[in-house]
Amino acid sequence: MTEQAQLQDYMRLPAEILYREELEALIKADKGKIPAGWQMSPRSVLTFIVGGKAGKTVITPKYIGNTRLIEMAIATLVTDRALLLIGEPGTAKSWLSENLSAAIYGNSGLVVQGTAGTSEEHVRYSWNYAMLLANGPTPEALVKSPIMRAMEEGGIARFEEISRCASEVQDALISILSEKTISVPELGKETGARKGFSIIATANTRDRGVNEMSAALKRRFNIIVLPAPSDLETELSIVKKRVGEIASSYELQAAVPADEALLKVVTIFRELRSGMTLDKKEKVKSPAGVISTAEAISLLTNSMALAASFGGGELTDEDLAAGLQGAIVKDDDKDKLVWKEYLNNVMKKRGAEWRGLYQACKEMNE
Amino acid sequence: MRPTAEAAVHIFGVRHLSPGGAKHLLDFLDELQPTAVLIEGPADATAEIRHLTNKETKPPVAVLAFTADLPVRTALWPFAVYSPELQGLQWAEANGAMASFIDLPSSVILALQDTSRPSTELEHDTAPGSGKAGEPSALVTGPDKETEEQKAHGDASPSLYSRIASAAGEHDYDMYWERNYEHNASPGAYREAILSFSAEMRNLSEGQEQREQPIEHAYNYVRESYMRRQIRDTIAAGHDPERIVVICGAYHAAALADVTDYMTDEELASLPSRSTKLTLMPYSYYKLSTMSGYGAGNRAPHYYQMMWEAMVAGAPEDLPYLYLSSVARLVRSGGTHRSTAEVIEAVRLAEALAALHSGSAPTLRDLHDAAQTLLGHGDLSVIAEALARVDVGTAIGSLAEGVSQTPIQDDLNRLFKKLKLEKYKTTVASDLSLDLRENRRVSSTEAAFLDLNRSILFHRLSLLGISFAKSQPSGQDGATWAENWIIQWTPEVEIQVVESTLLGETVEIACAYVLREKLNECRSIAEASALIKIACQCGMASQIEEGRQVLQTLAVDSRDVVEIAAAARELSIIIGYGDIRRIDTVPLVPLLEQLFLRGCLFLTDAAGCNDEAATAMTAAMNELNAIALDHDDTVDGKLWLQELLHLSERDDRNPRLSGFACAILMERGAITAAECAAEVSRRLSPGIPADLGAGWFEGLSMRNRYGLLSRMSLWEQLNDYINSLLDNEFVRALVFLRRAFSTFSPREKTMIAELLGELWGVNSEQAAEILTGELKEEETKMLDDLNEFDFEDF
Repeated sequence: MTEQAQLQDYMRLPAEILYREELEALIKADKGKIPAGWQMSPRSVLTFIVGGKAGKTVITPKYIGNTRLIEMAIATLVTDRALLLIGEPGTAKSWLSENLSAAIYGNSGLVVQGTAGTSEEHVRYSWNYAMLLANGPTPEALVKSPIMRAMEEGGIARFEEISRCASEVQDALISILSEKTISVPELGKETGARKGFSIIATANTRDRGVNEMSAALKRRFNIIVLPAPSDLETELSIVKKRVGEIASSYELQAAVPADEALLKVVTIFRELRSGMTLDKKEKVKSPAGVISTAEAISLLTNSMALAASFGGGELTDEDLAAGLQGAIVKDDDKDKLVWKEYLNNVMKKRGAEWRGLYQACKEMNE
Repeated sequence: MRPTAEAAVHIFGVRHLSPGGAKHLLDFLDELQPTAVLIEGPADATAEIRHLTNKETKPPVAVLAFTADLPVRTALWPFAVYSPELQGLQWAEANGAMASFIDLPSSVILALQDTSRPSTELEHDTAPGSGKAGEPSALVTGPDKETEEQKAHGDASPSLYSRIASAAGEHDYDMYWERNYEHNASPGAYREAILSFSAEMRNLSEGQEQREQPIEHAYNYVRESYMRRQIRDTIAAGHDPERIVVICGAYHAAALADVTDYMTDEELASLPSRSTKLTLMPYSYYKLSTMSGYGAGNRAPHYYQMMWEAMVAGAPEDLPYLYLSSVARLVRSGGTHRSTAEVIEAVRLAEALAALHSGSAPTLRDLHDAAQTLLGHGDLSVIAEALARVDVGTAIGSLAEGVSQTPIQDDLNRLFKKLKLEKYKTTVASDLSLDLRENRRVSSTEAAFLDLNRSILFHRLSLLGISFAKSQPSGQDGATWAENWIIQWTPEVEIQVVESTLLGETVEIACAYVLREKLNECRSIAEASALIKIACQCGMASQIEEGRQVLQTLAVDSRDVVEIAAAARELSIIIGYGDIRRIDTVPLVPLLEQLFLRGCLFLTDAAGCNDEAATAMTAAMNELNAIALDHDDTVDGKLWLQELLHLSERDDRNPRLSGFACAILMERGAITAAECAAEVSRRLSPGIPADLGAGWFEGLSMRNRYGLLSRMSLWEQLNDYINSLLDNEFVRALVFLRRAFSTFSPREKTMIAELLGELWGVNSEQAAEILTGELKEEETKMLDDLNEFDFEDF
């Protein structure tokens, strides 16, 4: 009871605690062959991620999208290769990495959170300097990195935002991944990886402040690119769900936008992102910046805040147009032309339902 | 003639292009040693078997049936080296067994195609050249019927085949098939599995098919009862039923086992029939991979050939290594380094993926995904070309000489007859002038448009690279209805015609194919608009639409106003004169609007160029202006004037273009005389550098000269401007003004002289005399001095 109460105080819980029952049910019902160091068979891991049933327990889907990608991720970890998940911002890379570690190893907490300030010590090991000064290098004074601990335990370490680390720090991984040991020359010993050890790293492709990854490092990973939601319906349901959640948690005093408005925003975003109208008949120029699903969500919540604070509480075409203008036109001149062309060539011809939004966007873009 | 042990013939169901099936079939034949091998295929093609098994025949080849008269219907039975049918024929040849085809003869199949066409194959007519028209319904059976199924049931409800795949936990039916049939190595398992699969499948789908596709169902029934008849005949001819093997599509396997119900003579006689010809033709893996209606072995013929070769060598487990190393080699030769270690890891990943599905070996999909992850580093585009090359391959079959009599030759002869061109089929060159307009003096439509149809044929032939008719420039300029051709039939032409068989069965289908290929390769909008023009000339309506899409796609990425304007002009001409070729150009109008819009939007940007580029830009502006005038009901003329105004007001663009924009505006009456005068005085004010002012004037004077000449105020301002210049500035300005006036005709120059004379109070005749007379010595010297003029930094 007290544990439950304590857990509720956290903003979010790690996957292995959040889905403890599902994991236990899967382990219990597992009939497949379990690879060394894993807590369940690859098939069960797949079920955990994409949903299904374990005995009588219903397993909720954790990742909605291409099941094949998940299969490839799991197969990668079976072959004891390290896994690198790449994708645009907001494609559930970290979410997937956390859930995979929780399912395979039962602990998603061995994380290196990569930043420009991450140093080699975070990847290998560092020292407790007080003890180091007092006793010299001893095993007790050694502070192991999450990766080193995962090696000792035969578990999975996660490396978030690997491309934000300086190249020198990324390089520290190269020998760890190929030799599967970390040597501590001060103690004259080596830590070898037990079976089951692997690393799941995540990286952004199109963003500022990311470093190019070296070919040598890329070669040591199996790289899987996570795509933006594959069809309109999937994206629409993700946006709808999140907008509703955010609206209630921030207590925005505006009505949740009508399905029609959501559909329009998601349609515009998808068309501009893919450079193609939804019916695939016409090509559209894409703006320079990233326009992710996450941005569609924040655009809609912004427009709602705008409507609530300065409007009548109802989301109008003008509110949407203001949001769209901000989200799409980032690089002034070029994006403005792109947007103008889109308005003229595509949106103008969409008929009466789009007329209001078209007019509002046109005025906003003048 | 009722044999007793009629149920005992051995049925071997296969997928038509299946290496696993071919391997199992060979094992089965070796074990059974039959005396007769009966194969699902047109019965009248039995005579071609000796050509098929000829040592000189290199697969892929196809049996082609085509009707001798219009409308041309074709049916095609392609064979790859791994086709079980071909392997069966070769086995029979080597072991002295009798081999024959037992399906309905092509004459009946093609006649039945006509009956069933309106309901099930309508789309084939609208898409000539895709090879679809030649799709043999004979082979679209059994598991291969997937696409037909999907078509029939729509995308809303998943087809039976994708339901089977998902029930087996696979992502698509191809994966399911490969995993469960191609990889199934245990002896006899393939045949058993297919027999029960076929029976189950028919139980599940037969009732539904009978309801929803009665024609399809009846067609299958007719074919099967004919095949049963053929089997009975074979038994009656003295073959022991125990030693007869029937090779047929999996779907028919269950229906042929019991031969008690068979087609009677009367029934056979009552079937419709058309006169057809049969021939063998070389085929290519590429064509095989683009044909719809096939399942296994279709999308990746070379991959299946590799599988077949690995099976024959007794080492099917080598296939993943072979496949992924081949991909890696191609990726490397493309300049991207990939290590052997990565290939090894890719094989491991593919095998792990197969294990996840409890498979014994990776399927093509597993190999693709592993290659993308390891060799593409997650990115498909890096390896896409290599994958396509390893999957599809470039193999083209060949036949012994003289075997092939192609339908395209037939088609051409027919066209010649129809268009009354037979008399020109000589080696003597002759001229032919065509008048494309409707001939109203004749009664039939065919005769009225005889010349138009001839022109279409000539254009099509030249598109195919058949040098029968050569176009000559028309005598009358701008007469879109007149064409002159020199026509000559040579042996080379004959060869060129035969060679184009691979492109399609008729001239039209071949043209559609060539155009599509060209459109796929097309990288610039100039090329695309030229191709649209060719499509118009060839009268290929659906290719115009494809061209439109390609042009639209390319145009979105182009910011080059000169290119855009040229393409827009091309379209504008097609739209303007399309009706003479009786082509529907309405679909092109939105594209013209779009191109025009882009031209307008990027005008100001593109006008920031140097003088050299400005020449091309003025041409582009002229074209855009002409389009704005010709199509004022469709394009956004207001925007055009607005952008011109913008450009004419800008001081930081090329001055010549700003001036030119002003000239167009003046001509269009979009700015008033007063505004124009104000602009002239602003541009030609003393503070402005001489080259800018004079350059602007040059632009202004490039259009509408008489309009300029009639405006006295303009010349006053020019006069004031020149007067206000200091000496060294004057010399500078002179260079530009001289260039501006150099394009004026003597008459125009005289008129200017008169205007200026009037301004200066000089007798107009005297002025004209000075201007048009010979140069005096000192004047020549002054001009020579100008030659040494220092252009400094401009």
